[in-house]
Amino acid sequence: MPAGDRWRRRDSGPVVRPYAVTGGRTEPVDGEMLDLIAVVVATGRHAKADEPATLTPEHRRILGLCKRQVTVADIAAETALPVGVVRVLLADLMAQGAVAVVRQRPAGQRTGNDVLQEILNGLRAL
Amino acid sequence: MASARYDDGPPLAAHKILIAGGFGSGKTTLVGAISEVRPLRTEEMLTAASVGFDDVSGVSGKTTTTVALDFGRITFGTHVVLYLFGLPGQERFSFMWDELSYGALGAVILADVRRLSDCFPSVNYFERRRVPFVVAVNCFDNAPRYDPEEVRLALDLDPGVPLVLCDAREVSSVKRVLITLVEAIAARRATEKTGTGRTTVTPRM
Repeated sequence: MPAGDRWRRRDSGPVVRPYAVTGGRTEPVDGEMLDLIAVVVATGRHAKADEPATLTPEHRRILGLCKRQVTVADIAAETALPVGVVRVLLADLMAQGAVAVVRQRPAGQRTGNDVLQEILNGLRAL
Repeated sequence: MASARYDDGPPLAAHKILIAGGFGSGKTTLVGAISEVRPLRTEEMLTAASVGFDDVSGVSGKTTTTVALDFGRITFGTHVVLYLFGLPGQERFSFMWDELSYGALGAVILADVRRLSDCFPSVNYFERRRVPFVVAVNCFDNAPRYDPEEVRLALDLDPGVPLVLCDAREVSSVKRVLITLVEAIAARRATEKTGTGRTTVTPRM
């Protein structure tokens, strides 16, 4: 069987049925729905050595990506897992205290004028 | 909320702008033109629960459809990230729009003058939700040119809604579209501040 990412290409589709990696669960353990651009980060509470055996390779992969602050959407794109699956797996990691939410919801219409200005400046400088 | 973190930098502020428009109007092209990474693609699982904020108790976990979601990313400085999400254009995915538009800064509606009616659903949707938007007429090479004012009339746009011509393949053009949108958001905010002090609307069907 070819190694590495060859089976993970977007066009070839997933190797296993998406919800097989969640054990058939379609909803996060705490029932909380993380926004697509909710920001999460690893807490460092599960260092490599004491990673519990309950973590699947997908959990570990997500945990690895969370070493830096990252959004749910980015995790989904990086891992090629559907967003729904990422939400379930992230909730598992959060329940274990391995991952924390930095920002749950985008500010949307409540975004401060200073942030709008920063975005404007950034766009103009592109 | 987060106490001990690996990454102790300032909290990342992620914002999103939606890119709407009919099928083939150039949404993915636009995202690709300005994204710092090649447009990312993820599959959004459409369980009933993924609608998120509507009451779906009792019907959760019913649907198992997937739909591809394309998005791009632009990072400003160290902690501000702007995401551009292409809205699935097909009518049957319109319920996904609620989730995607939640917390969005605003939207760009891409219009193709040959199929102007394709963007009616988006215009209606964002007007109703009071999501700030701009209409960007994507000037396809072989499409007839119209006076922007004619397009504005045809779409029955509010005078406050900016309408710009663009080329979704060109960074500079896409940049101008986004700047127009953010400026419009800021302007609208300024006028609303002086208004009735409307409270934030929660998305509802």
